[in-house]
Amino acid sequence: MSAISLEKLTKVFSAGVRALEGLNLSVRDGEFVVLVGPSGCGKTTALRMVAGLESITEGTVAFDGRVVNDVSPRHRDIAMVFQNYALYPHLTVAENIGFALTNRKIPRGERERRVRSAAAALGLSDLLNRKPAHLSGGQRQRVAMGRAIVREPSVFLMDEPLSNLDAKLRVQMRSEVLRVHNTIGAATLYVTHDQVEAMTMGDRVAVLNGGVLQQYGNPRELYDRPANLFVAGFVGSPEMNLYEASVSSSDELVLGSQRLPLGPAAMVLAPFRGRAVIAGVRPEDLGLDGAVGDAARPDVASLVADVRGVETLGSETHVLFSIDATRAAATALAAGTSLDSLLGGNTHNGLARLDPRSAVRPGERITFRVDPSRLHYFDPDTGAAIR
Amino acid sequence: MSETALRPSAGAVSPSRAPLPRRRSAYARRRGRSGLAFVTPFMIIFTLFMVAPLGYAIYQSLYTTKLIGGTRFSGFANYATVLQSGDFWNGVIRVIIFGGIQIPVMLAIAFFFATIFDLGIAKWGPVFRAVYFIPFAVPIVVSSLMWGFLLDPAYGPFNRFMNVIGFHGFNWLSSNLMLPSIIIIAIWEWTGYNSVILYTALKSVPRDVVEAAILDDTPLWKIILRIKLPLVRPAIVMLVFINTIGAMQLFIEPSILNNYAPGVVTATWTPVIDIYNTSIADGEYQLGAAMAVVLAFVVIAISVASLAFRRRREFR
Amino acid sequence: MSARRERKRRERLESIDAAIPVELYGLKRGTVSVLTACCALFALFILAPVAWVIINSTKTQANIFESFGFWFASPFEFFHTFANLFRDVDGDGTYSQWFLNTVLYSLVGGVGATVLAALGGYGFARFEFRGSKLFFGLIIAGLLVPITLVAVPLYLAYAKVHLINSIWGMILPSMVTPVGLYLMRTYVELSIPRELTDAARIDGASEVRIFFRIALPLMVPGLMTVLLLAVAGTWNNYILPLIIFSNNTLYPVTVGMGLWSQHAGNSGDANLYPLLVMGGLVTIVPMIALFALLQRYWRGGLLLGSVAN
Repeated sequence: MSAISLEKLTKVFSAGVRALEGLNLSVRDGEFVVLVGPSGCGKTTALRMVAGLESITEGTVAFDGRVVNDVSPRHRDIAMVFQNYALYPHLTVAENIGFALTNRKIPRGERERRVRSAAAALGLSDLLNRKPAHLSGGQRQRVAMGRAIVREPSVFLMDEPLSNLDAKLRVQMRSEVLRVHNTIGAATLYVTHDQVEAMTMGDRVAVLNGGVLQQYGNPRELYDRPANLFVAGFVGSPEMNLYEASVSSSDELVLGSQRLPLGPAAMVLAPFRGRAVIAGVRPEDLGLDGAVGDAARPDVASLVADVRGVETLGSETHVLFSIDATRAAATALAAGTSLDSLLGGNTHNGLARLDPRSAVRPGERITFRVDPSRLHYFDPDTGAAIR
Repeated sequence: MSETALRPSAGAVSPSRAPLPRRRSAYARRRGRSGLAFVTPFMIIFTLFMVAPLGYAIYQSLYTTKLIGGTRFSGFANYATVLQSGDFWNGVIRVIIFGGIQIPVMLAIAFFFATIFDLGIAKWGPVFRAVYFIPFAVPIVVSSLMWGFLLDPAYGPFNRFMNVIGFHGFNWLSSNLMLPSIIIIAIWEWTGYNSVILYTALKSVPRDVVEAAILDDTPLWKIILRIKLPLVRPAIVMLVFINTIGAMQLFIEPSILNNYAPGVVTATWTPVIDIYNTSIADGEYQLGAAMAVVLAFVVIAISVASLAFRRRREFR
Repeated sequence: MSARRERKRRERLESIDAAIPVELYGLKRGTVSVLTACCALFALFILAPVAWVIINSTKTQANIFESFGFWFASPFEFFHTFANLFRDVDGDGTYSQWFLNTVLYSLVGGVGATVLAALGGYGFARFEFRGSKLFFGLIIAGLLVPITLVAVPLYLAYAKVHLINSIWGMILPSMVTPVGLYLMRTYVELSIPRELTDAARIDGASEVRIFFRIALPLMVPGLMTVLLLAVAGTWNNYILPLIIFSNNTLYPVTVGMGLWSQHAGNSGDANLYPLLVMGGLVTIVPMIALFALLQRYWRGGLLLGSVAN
């Protein structure tokens, strides 16, 4: 019995917008599940339907097996952290945290005790008498979480709680959020547009796009075995390099003017002989001589590229290169908006992450080594991964 | 009007020979003059037709014109007369009572309906909202005339209604009931306008704060009174303020209603009626000016006090 | 026509989506009906005088007094009474003349007030000059000044400059709206980003040009609100015209009807009562129409935004 279970969850707004299409998802007890995707993908809508703040057009939401479609959000025993925190502006921190308890008619002594302990857990003990207007963004966020802790809910929902914080604070607060999740111990559904948050925080991650679930699995699965082009391009930063390619009749990958052996993927790609595919390689799977293995090894492929730019980050070096294959877009949206077409031909269509000591210079022609088993292939018509 | 034309090529105003602060200040000064030019038309008319008359009134209040002896400087003599005039102060007390009852009642009703519209908890909200706003489009003279007909002691339907249900000889416009009747009329006139303002204020309460309250299982009455109401306090304070200024200057309704029930509204029934009669009917405009100045002070004092009046009485 | 209805339909649906669903408030059964009934009762209260005026504008003077107030009676005198609005019935003047005067004063005064408020509001909002705070404070203090303090001395001053019985004596003071200026300043601050005017300045536009091409189009909703308020205020004005006009061809409707009301009791043959009722009806109709027409622009939020400041 999963703590939260969504079945064929669909939402169509009265103005006709189809925000969510048939979402199937389950969250185990105590699990931290992240809903991630670009703006407008339906993740917030899904969360709000779980909360009961948005009506359900089709499908069901169930808690512990019990369908709650018709249960008012007041009685679903949910705590939620909103993107803008939704603190009561005219109440102090203590009153904000304790507000839900006053509704439940919990006696004052008990209430104050709980508020104090929640505040202590979040480092808010000195701020109990302040009003939200006099708090920093991070403090407000913690008050919002304090409200949730004190409720001791069975389901914990969070709608982009870190989006309004600056980058550094966001990284700090990630662990705070996880700590709060562990304190509450309830099944948690967390919405964000930031794939880094998703990958670092989630036990399992659901990627959505255009109202449709793209893939649901743990971060490792999403990264190593993306189910389609969208997930491949969305997860991982810097992005996976994607190219229009084809499979030759002799089981080779034709990438521009170069041919790479297919290796173990040959069998799976058999149906695509003579046809186009989209090939993807992650920036960290491209290496120089000596890094990925010797050129002599038959299972290591070579890719010749022209270096257009080099970014030294200290911890690694990014090499911006171009090959004579056409870059493919992860989504239809990205397809037409490439800056490359504006800036002319001197730009790159690929990025590689190399050892910081690599001596590469712009204008050079270098040879990458890549393990063919680490290449990803996608059907150019459906975008699905070819496995 | 001076025009500040910049050369499109450079962001600078003048050759950079001068040190930076002086150059900016010259530009700023020129722009400031443009600002002055924009503001001047309003200021001219404002000065001519508000500031100057005011000054003239205050000036005049220090003089007295008698049949014998002409116009002489009399200092604060007029003011002394006003301050000692029982009739005048009775009028002041009357409008204070008027405002003290009318404003809270009207605001309570306005808040009640504004909440209904905001939450959408009654049907046909937009229709009712439009209907309630109709009185705002009716000049006060006309509403007084209409209500005068309705409340007419001899022929008004409302009077006849009272007779029907057993109150014989009931007179809405008797000297006892004149003020309550005017309160009812004022409520009729102003509730719609106030409720629109409150409705807009209520709508601007962030939606997620209310949703958070819902998730906390807050009962509706608590959401309205402990969450929404405190958050529209600025609007309420403003409404109390402007309603107070209006209430203190009660003039039109009693003047018109007097035509339906002659004699009930005395010549000094409200301060403004008193001022009008003193200045125009009696021709003692200097005394009238002094009265007006005193009234202005009272109005200012009470309006400013009303701003400090932060706690609103709860309805129900 | 269909495109507009389509847009309205979409707006309505979007506002349904944007509001919190009523079910979430946890209302007891029947609450909605009770509240709707309350609204209906109050609506009856609001409409009663209006209905009375409409119905009784069709009656003779005798019927106004004798027949049931809220239903019709024969003879049906509507058009006869309406025609009388164009005659000088008892020496106080003609209603039609008063009506035209009111329209004149309100439109010219209202437009003038809006222009001054727009210019002034823009000036105060977007420029800094010596004395700007002082001037603005003075104008706000003007809000507190009771009309009477101004009307009587105005009359006296007019006497000296021959402005008694001049339409400008009525129109010019109507163009002074401290409220309007305050609203416009707030609106400019809220809806014209500084970056816009700064960018225009850098592009070499003159201040006049910036005002007319960039600022003014953005100020339109605020202008409409101020216009509405200024027109309504002048239309409503009673004390000022009462004092400064002695020639009844210059009266606005408010003063004229006030006079009729005074004389109605002893008017004898003149049958002023039906005229009063009819006059009231005719006064109300244009204003309601104006509001209905311009309700798109009514920015209640504007008055609120000014409170926040």
